[in-house]
Amino acid sequence: MKPKTAIPTAVLAVGSLALTGCSGGDSGSDEPLESLDIMAPYFSEVPPEEDDPIDKALSEVAGLDLSVQWVPNSDYAAKTNTVLAGDDIPDVMVIGGKDQSFVQTAEAGGFWDLTEHLASGDYPNLVTENPEVQEASSVNGKVYGVYRARDVIRHSVIIRADWLENLGMDLPETTDDLYELARAFTEDDPDGNGENDTYGMINVEWPAAIGTNSPYDAIEVWHGAGNVWQEEGGELTPSFESDEWRQAVEYERDLVENGYLNPDYATMAPETWNEPFLNGEGGIIIDVQSRASELVKLFNEQDPENYDQYVALAGQLEGPNGTYAMPTAGYAGFLAIPRSGVQTEEQLDQVLTALDKLNSTEAQILLNNGIEGDNFTVEGEFAVNDPEKQDFTDQVTGAWAQLGTAVAGYNAYTIKPASEYDEELLQLRLDLQAEDLGNAVFNPAAALVSPTYTTSGSQLDTIIADARIQYIDGQIDDAGLQSAIDQWRSSGGGDVETEINDLYAELQ
Amino acid sequence: MTTVVEVEREAPDAQPPQAPARRRRFFNGVVRYRWLFFLMLPGLLYFALFRFWPMYGAQIAFKNYIPFLGIEDSEWVGLAHFQEFFTNPDFPRLLTNTLIVAALSLFIAFPLTIVLAVLLNELRLNILKRTVQTLVYIPHFLSWTVVVSLTALLFAIGDGPIWTLFNGLLGTDSNMMADPDWFRPLILMQMVWKDTGWGTIIFLAALAGVDQEQYQAAIIDGAGRWQRVWHITLPSIRPTIVVMLILQTGQILNTGFEQIYLMSNSLNRHVADVFDTYVYFTGIEQGAYSYSTTVGLFKALVGLVLIFGTNWLAKRFNQQGIF
Repeated sequence: MKPKTAIPTAVLAVGSLALTGCSGGDSGSDEPLESLDIMAPYFSEVPPEEDDPIDKALSEVAGLDLSVQWVPNSDYAAKTNTVLAGDDIPDVMVIGGKDQSFVQTAEAGGFWDLTEHLASGDYPNLVTENPEVQEASSVNGKVYGVYRARDVIRHSVIIRADWLENLGMDLPETTDDLYELARAFTEDDPDGNGENDTYGMINVEWPAAIGTNSPYDAIEVWHGAGNVWQEEGGELTPSFESDEWRQAVEYERDLVENGYLNPDYATMAPETWNEPFLNGEGGIIIDVQSRASELVKLFNEQDPENYDQYVALAGQLEGPNGTYAMPTAGYAGFLAIPRSGVQTEEQLDQVLTALDKLNSTEAQILLNNGIEGDNFTVEGEFAVNDPEKQDFTDQVTGAWAQLGTAVAGYNAYTIKPASEYDEELLQLRLDLQAEDLGNAVFNPAAALVSPTYTTSGSQLDTIIADARIQYIDGQIDDAGLQSAIDQWRSSGGGDVETEINDLYAELQ
Repeated sequence: MTTVVEVEREAPDAQPPQAPARRRRFFNGVVRYRWLFFLMLPGLLYFALFRFWPMYGAQIAFKNYIPFLGIEDSEWVGLAHFQEFFTNPDFPRLLTNTLIVAALSLFIAFPLTIVLAVLLNELRLNILKRTVQTLVYIPHFLSWTVVVSLTALLFAIGDGPIWTLFNGLLGTDSNMMADPDWFRPLILMQMVWKDTGWGTIIFLAALAGVDQEQYQAAIIDGAGRWQRVWHITLPSIRPTIVVMLILQTGQILNTGFEQIYLMSNSLNRHVADVFDTYVYFTGIEQGAYSYSTTVGLFKALVGLVLIFGTNWLAKRFNQQGIF
């Protein structure tokens, strides 16, 4: 090519790039939708391709051609914010949480208010079986999305069973038992090798926020500090202002001070959480029950003979002030419908009809299990995965499952436990869930979104979360902790408290 | 290449300006050097698109920007976001942290670059000089993610080699990756390790231009190595140092975002947070677009003031500024 033409072409290419960048956004029209553009996070190694068999099958079920924009989960929050600020907005978005850009956009009318549509019963699969959870996912009572249902109780205490056995100790029932256990696992040579090479509890770096189901949050709930907010006589106060909260962080600090926690508890990467447990460095993890099953699987690879001897599971613990259990929010984000792409009631009806169908039993199986007869077969009430198609199954559970809402109940198959022991473990998990559910302490302000919290909530949360960990680490003392709480109050926390209480009174 | 030479030859012929003649001359020039202008076009477009056009969006610092409403229709709020920022308790902390990191880079990392360049220049064996030069450039090409991962491994509490060394020598037993007192030393070490070598390039180029006869004259006069470095080498590259210093000052608030973002955690955040990480945290992660634009705008303003200030100072001390 002659340079004469080459340069202008390059210039044109750059120019047109800029133009598409600035204009665009004309996707909205009154015509019926021909395809359903969805933005969703994925956890699998690679996202599904456009010609994925699940995509085809789901498109048939939904009656609309699905086109999913997959975003790696680690980038999802940032990506959501940039997409909302851009022009190319999908028809359905998985919204991770009620953060500023979402709430402001929703309140400015950027998302459809689905409260009445969902309550109408026109979409039977979208009628919630847990109205409290739907309420909690709302913005001050307005439901902007179909929430993605999750188990309400997921947390438990995971313990090295062989260490318990070696020391002749029982499963912990109270926080004092846990403390004693952490001490014994550190000091009494639980692995019997004659060396002082173990510690009790394993913690990892946690995002600087409060009420995010961290081990610290769990211990605080067990102490009776409430769940983020506490209600007393119709008044809401932040749980970190309670005496029980102080008691709990003192407990946490003592664990650290005595070396009952891993020394890098504040910086250890969360993805390496299992390693010290597997290697026999630490023996207690406070986390979701599914981690116990994960650990059992890993022990099975390490020691197939005795793999059932390593993991013990205890339910949530009784605290010094009573018995309380930490629930999850009951949902993990929701599927919201932006108005930019879906402009008319008719189009909205189309989208909701499709979402309704995507929540049918048939679609749930596609989303969570895959394709029957291809990557899994059904045995009784269980699904059995084909080991040769494991990559495909992982992609289904790591990506497609993210579109599942299951608000009207989870109807897909459970994976068949590999052995009797696994089946027992599954049953134990269900029993512990049932037991803890009765003691669950819910966040009374879950549905409330205060304007100040919307604009500066994460800075406020960071103040408390950072002060908490500095206190636990011994960097600051009681006075330092108090001054952080005072700073929270003066930086807008006080306004948040007033606004939350006003909203709370309104919604009662 | 030939066209460029032509330009230089034409220029001195320029006649004293007369309005119409000058215009004609201008157009003649444009037609004559059209291909040079064409070559300039992508550069101009780059600046127009990626430097000037985005400034249109800077107005959201004065608005309550909601993406759904768009830039035009979002409500004007005047200086509310600036007021919020300056009265925020985060502000003094961010400013202090940013200035400290900037000072470390300006007063320690920057002089080290000059020292290394002079040291390299003093090497007599060319092969050794080249090899060392190449070796010290390498870290520049590693991404911060890699550098931070390496640091995490080397300084891991309990079994990291450097942690063990410090533990043995100084008796430090804290988790250095989380200890706020160690944050700045670590940041500085990483900066020096990664970019000192790369920074020598410009100084080495300047050093190559130093008149060799002066050295010979100095040797005859009996000057030692130190005296030659002090009285010939450094004064010869002084203009380069000043220009680099001015450019560096303009960048002063651009404390490496990636490095600091990756190195910060709950325990050291109060010394780690700088303007750049704050903008990312509030703007991208939290979606406070207007507020974070305010912070970014403020940062740019300080950078502008600094660059003019240093330039002015440089001129006062009879040095060549950059404009």
